[in-house]
Parts: sequence; structure tokens; C-alpha cells
Amino acid sequence: MSLMDQLNKYRIGLAIIGLVAFLAVPFVITDKLLIHLAILGMLYAIVASNWDLTLGYAGVFNFAHLAFFGIGAYTSGILAVKAGVSPWLGILAGGATAALASVIVSIPAIRLRGIYVALLTFACSQLVLLLLLSQPLITGGQQGLTGVPQLQIGDFRFRESPFAHFYLVGFLLLCSTIFLRRLVTSDFGLSLIALRDFEEYAVARGIPLAQQRLLAFLLSSIFPGMAGAVYAHFLIVASPDIFGFSLTTLLLSMVLVGGVATIYGPVFIGVVMTYVSELMASSAWMSDVFGISRGPVRFMFVAMLIVLTMRFFPGGVWGLINQLSSRVRKQKQAAADQHT
Amino acid sequence: MSLEAIVAIIAGGLVSGSLYALMASGLSLVWGTVRMFNFAHGALVMVGAYSAWYMSNRGGLAKALQPLGKSIIESSENSGALGGLLLPLGEWLVSMRGGFGLVLGVPFAILCCGLVGYVMYVLLVKPFVGKPGADLVVIITTIAGASFMQNGVQVIFGPRYKQLDRILTGPPLQVLETAIGLQEVLVIVLTPVALLLLHFFLKHSKLGMAIRAVAQNDDFAHLVGINVGQIYPLTFVVSSILAGLCGVMLGGLFFILPTMGAQELLFAFVVVVFGGLGSLPGTIIGAYVIGFIRESSAYIFSLYWAPVVLFATLILVLIFRPRGLMGGEES
Amino acid sequence: MLFQVENLTSGYGKIDVVRDLSLHVDDGEHVGLFGPNGHGKTTLLRTISGLIETKAGKVTFQGEDITNLDARKIVARGLIHVPQGNQLFPRMSVQENLTLGAYVARTDKHKSSNFEKVFSLFPRLKERLTQRAQTLSGGERQMLSIGVGLMGMPELLILDEPSVGLAPIIKEELARAIAEIAASGVTMIVVDQDVELLLGICERLYLIEKGTVSLETADVSQVDQAEILEMYFGKVT
Repeated sequence: MSLMDQLNKYRIGLAIIGLVAFLAVPFVITDKLLIHLAILGMLYAIVASNWDLTLGYAGVFNFAHLAFFGIGAYTSGILAVKAGVSPWLGILAGGATAALASVIVSIPAIRLRGIYVALLTFACSQLVLLLLLSQPLITGGQQGLTGVPQLQIGDFRFRESPFAHFYLVGFLLLCSTIFLRRLVTSDFGLSLIALRDFEEYAVARGIPLAQQRLLAFLLSSIFPGMAGAVYAHFLIVASPDIFGFSLTTLLLSMVLVGGVATIYGPVFIGVVMTYVSELMASSAWMSDVFGISRGPVRFMFVAMLIVLTMRFFPGGVWGLINQLSSRVRKQKQAAADQHT
Repeated sequence: MSLEAIVAIIAGGLVSGSLYALMASGLSLVWGTVRMFNFAHGALVMVGAYSAWYMSNRGGLAKALQPLGKSIIESSENSGALGGLLLPLGEWLVSMRGGFGLVLGVPFAILCCGLVGYVMYVLLVKPFVGKPGADLVVIITTIAGASFMQNGVQVIFGPRYKQLDRILTGPPLQVLETAIGLQEVLVIVLTPVALLLLHFFLKHSKLGMAIRAVAQNDDFAHLVGINVGQIYPLTFVVSSILAGLCGVMLGGLFFILPTMGAQELLFAFVVVVFGGLGSLPGTIIGAYVIGFIRESSAYIFSLYWAPVVLFATLILVLIFRPRGLMGGEES
Repeated sequence: MLFQVENLTSGYGKIDVVRDLSLHVDDGEHVGLFGPNGHGKTTLLRTISGLIETKAGKVTFQGEDITNLDARKIVARGLIHVPQGNQLFPRMSVQENLTLGAYVARTDKHKSSNFEKVFSLFPRLKERLTQRAQTLSGGERQMLSIGVGLMGMPELLILDEPSVGLAPIIKEELARAIAEIAASGVTMIVVDQDVELLLGICERLYLIEKGTVSLETADVSQVDQAEILEMYFGKVT
């Protein structure tokens, strides 16, 4: 029995407590920066946990995952800025174009193995970036697409309230997490694990490799695409920085430090890492210690965290918690056995 | 197409091809031997350029040592025999305020890159060698390493652009009425020299042969007495030095900044895939082919579209010939 | 005694393939190992030469404990293992392969005379000197494999299945060459399925079954050869 099973016993109660606590957050925390970071963190958590589907469960390194997020952001941004399309439709469109992109990437990728998948997806994501930069009239080029309109319902503007984005993104994260957990515990999820751990055998038993891999790419792209669209409207800009090494590294660290093939790990650590890294970037002592350039230091920190995690805790935080809780349980069991 | 354009494309293709060849041969060497893909290879290019700059430029080490030189001169005036001995050192340091030049800068860059390559192997690669899924893990750790180095350099040197001194100064070379910069000529001439040195090292030196032996059959390499555990870091060091040389050349052509090398890494990926991972001749031929494709597509389409054409090529190659166009041999 | 294995246990992961195996080889002796496939002969050799970890037991060579020493240190002492399946460096020339055979420092001074020795034993290799190893025929590859071993100046030469998969004529040629190496005074362990080949070379035989020695002959010249064959085939069927 793992930690998850234990939690499952009280799932309804926990869900209600969690929901109430979540709804109460903007009332309790009035600091604007903290709320802003929470929203950012939840958006990143969506991207990271969806990445876990391909990286953790399918065992495929999809370098283009951040590109799905970026495509969502640019799709909705361009539609709103250049065509006046409602941001709400833009969010759906963002999910749709990301899904389309994922299919295009995965068609060549599913035929390849290991390193070649990484190279191909890497090339694809760079290709998307280069295409965006090559059309400055539409995309804003190097500076990014500015003047992206914010979300609004009637006359209610989302950026004017601390609650609106928080609840919206929270809802999106909740949907994404439930969707992913359902997925990975379904037959489809099991078939991905089978393909990852024992490809020849799984294929011999009739699991269609290409189809399952394609589905994994597709299903992991929709929520990041939508999250990207929300991101653009939230920050009122779509920037080519999304495709940079630094954000890729940060998001990767969320998946790895959280724990691969857990979904929950990247969700929670995604939020935590966003806080930690942003607070590092803005905290006073960092600037005292490192002079003017404190922004880069947080990425150095993130990089070290990744290497240390890979080296010493390959299961990530979530794996560690599960390990500890099962050890405690075993000790209790042993103690109980001795008494009888 | 005019004659000038053709000459310009050939010269540009040779320059780009040279840079890609230096970078991709290192990547290919590591892949062939250690079976790992080093995503921090681009950052090593950057380290090479920065360390060459630091040693050669007057804003680097020379500037940092000025106060030391002056204080040596001052203190030696007040002390006896020892002061007399130190005085020339102090005077030398002060006289070097213009920088130590590329004569020291290039060896220093090679040294730094070799060292960084070794440390990188020990921290990012060695712990995972031989474990299941190691190739995937090492992609991740080397990405982290690249991010660490890029940001680290930014902390040390700041985000402002730097530029290396020119080795050759003078008017550009006129070839069929087309001007080619001397720095470009230097890159075109020196790269084949470096690649030939690499060839002789791998073909005729004991350690070079051992690298190839491990790449072709590591089990048998153990049985002829090769210290396979030492060959892996050695391969990383050799590959890092090649990246460093590429950085020095790039630094002479363009500005130096923390994110440099990333673009070149992309092209190097295209090259190694194009030429067949792990095959050195394929890689070098591939590098020049890609260099020419890039320059001619930049001429025919536009500078922005050249990379697009290249990546489209890469994706097509990966789809139809994942082992590389040159039929790269994998053991 | 030149070489001794005492109560050796080894294998892959949790599975023991070699169990509590003991054997010994005297100086100048030629010892044959035979037995059915999959019963641990190759695993035994890979353990002796340091490619696989020894879980229990002891390996002694020239009076020194070499258990779990690095493969390269074992090679440096002159214990040379020519592996099964004519392993070579496929994209290197015959010459380069032989040069790498003399990788360890103690062979440096004798390199040219060792080349001559190998060429006189296998004249065909001299003809193919610049050819890539992967373009050689099966028999030539096996010759090269043994040649690479000889370049390391073996104090004890271990040959794993030298005759496997070869045409009868080539096999005869190879057997003659191996006998010649044996006659030149090199101590040897030869593993092969072909008992007749072993009988032509070796003074003593071990039958290895289920990861351990199940039978040990005395000096084969004292024993009727047909008897040995009968023992082996009787046991297998």
C-alpha cells in the first residue's frame, strides 16, 4: 500500500478540504507578488505534469514540450492582436494548435529511438522558434508579441482582481491533473508503462507502439497549449524566451525533482519551484551576495538541483515520500508482528 | 547568380563548415565512444571564447593584475635584494596592461576547456555510465550543465558583449573581386590543420587508437588491456578542446556573449545526424555540406530562412535515414 | 603452479552461472575445458579475465591473488583471454588490431618480433595487413583474434571456442596453428565443443556442467581417447 492508497481512503474529505483551502488562498494571502507567483506556478505545474506523461510514463524525451506551451501562447496572442478574436476562443485555439503541432512532431518521432527522438524534437522546437522570429510583423520577432489583451467577462477585467486568474488557472490545473491521473491509471497508461519497460514484449503482446506514442504526445500537448494561451493573456505578452534553455531547464527540474511518472510530484513541485526560483531572483540577500546579476544565479541553482536529483534521488521528492512512508509502515508492521 | 555571389557563398560555406566541423567532430567522438550526447557542448564553445578573451584582452586578467603589478613595484623600491628580484615581474605585469595576447589566450582557452570537459565528465556523466536509461539521463544532466555554465559566465562577466582581438589586421583578401576578411581566411586555413591533428592523434597515437578501440568494441578493449574507465574522460577532454577551438574562432568573427554557441550547437546536431552519429569522416564531410547549404540558402532565400531550410533537412534526414546520409556506421 | 581457481562463484545480477568451481593449470601445461553450451564456460573465462565480478572464491596467477582485479591489470600480467565469437575492432585494419594487441607496456620492446611470430603462424594475416577486420572471412577473423592475443605476450593464453562455426578445412589449419603455439611453450586453456580438437592439443581436460567441474581427466595420453568421448557424449544424451 503506497501513500496514494492511504490518501485514497479519505479522498472525498481531502478533496473538500483542499478545495476550500484553495478558494480561501486569495482571501488569506493579500500580497500581490505571492498571488502572481502562485498563478505562474500553477501554469508551469500544468506544463510540467503534462511533460511527465511523455517523459515519465512513455519514457520518451520530448524536447518540443515547451514549444506546445509557446505555440498556445502565440496562437491566442496573434488571434487576439491581429484578428480581434476573443481570448476565450483563443484559449481553445491554443489547445488545438498545440495538439496539431504535437501530431506533426510525433509522426516522425514515433519511428525513432532514444537519442534520435530527443534530437528530432529539439530540432522541431527550434524550427518553431525560428519561424516565429522570421515573421516579426506577425509575431513581434525578438521583442515578442506585445499588447496581448487580457481576459475579461463583460466589463470585468481579470487583471484587476486577485481572484480571477487564480481561480481560472487553478481550475485548469485541477482539470489537467484529474485528466492525467485518469489517463495514467487507465489501460492506456499501463500500456505506455509496458512499452517503456519492456518494449519487445509489449509489442509482441499486441500493444500498438506507434499509436500509443502518438497518443501520448497528443494528450500531453492540449493542456500546455491552453495554459500557454492563458499565460499570454495573463502577462499580456508572448515572448520567444519561452523556447529558451533556461525555461526548459526550470520546467525539466519540476518534473525531475517532483518525481517522474507520478503526475502529482510535478504538480506540487512545479508550484514550489516557481516560488523558490522567483523569490531567489528578487530577494535582497541574493543581490547583496552576488552583486547585480542575481537572475542568473537562480538558474545555476536550478541546474545543480537537477543534477543532484538525478544523482541521489532519481525518484524525486514524490518518490522519496513514498519510500519513507512505506519504510515507516514496514517498521510499524514489524513492531506489530513482534507483539503478536 | 553572379561570380561574386558564388565566391562569397563558397567562402561563407567554408567558414561555417569549418566551425561546424570543429564542433560536430567533438560531439561525434563522444557519441561514438561513450554513447552519450553532450548537450553542454555549445556551452564549451562559449567557455573557450570567454577564456581566450579573459587572457588576451586588456579588460580581462591583465586589468585584474594591474594593482598587483603596481604594488610589487612600489614595495620592491623599499626592500632589498628580494625586491630587486621581484621588480621585473611587477614591471612586466604593468607593461602587459594591453592584455596577454592570443599567443597565451589560445593555449589558456584549450586548457580551460579541457579542464571543464573533465569536470563535466566526472560530475554529469560518470555517475550514470552503465546504468539503464543513462543516455536520457545524461541529456538532462548536460542540459543542466549548459544552463549552469551560461548563467555562471553571466554572473562572472556580465551580460555585455565582448570581442576578441584580431590575429591578422589588414585589408581583406581579394578573390575574384570579392572581399574575404582575413579572420575568415584564418578560420578556413586553420580548421583543416586542427582536423588533421585530430586525425593523426586518433590514427597513430596510442591513446587515440585506444579511443577508437573503445568506440568499436569496448569489451574487447578491456581484454587487450586498455583502461576503458580512463578513455571516457579523455574523449570528453579531446572533444571539449575542439569545442574550445571553435569558440576562439567564433570569438574572432562575432561578438562573445553568454548564450553564444547555442546556435552553433543546433547546426552541429544537424551535422552529426546528417553525417551519421559517431562516424568522424561522415561528420566532417557533413559539416562542410551543411555549411554550403546554409550559405546558399541564406543567399537564395534570406538569412532568416537559412536555418529553417536546415532544420527541415534535418527532420527529413531523421525520418528517412536515421543513421545518417553517409550511412554512419554504428557498432 | 601457474594458475589456480578455487571455489569460484560468479554470474550476472542475482543469478549464479558459475558455482563453486575449482581448477588449476601448471606451468607449460595445456588444459582443455569442454561441456554443453550455457553451462558457464564463457562466464568462467570472463570472470577470470576481470570482465565479471567474482562473488566468491579466489583466482591465483603466478602466485599472486588476481581476484577482482581490473581487466587491464590482469592483461598486463600476461593472462590473455581471446574471447568467443572472433571479437575484434571491426573498423580497424589487421595491422591496427595487432598493434592494439600489444597495448600493454611490457610488450613494447618486442613488438616487431611479435609481429613476425604472428605472421609466420598466420601468413594470411600478412597478406591482409591493411584490410579492415570486418571484411575478413570467419577463419581469418579467428586467426586475427588469436594473433591479437599473441601480441600481448601471454604467460597464460585462454582461447574461448576458437573452432566454432568454421569450415572443416579452416578448422584443421587453425588447430595446427594452435598446436604450434602450444608446442612453442605457451601455457594454455582452450575451451571448445570439439573434444577431438582439444585432445590434439591438451594434456588434461575438465568437463564443465551446470557451472562446475563435473569430471577431470588425468593425463589424456594415458587414457583411451574413445573412452573420453564416450564419457562426454554419454553424459550429454
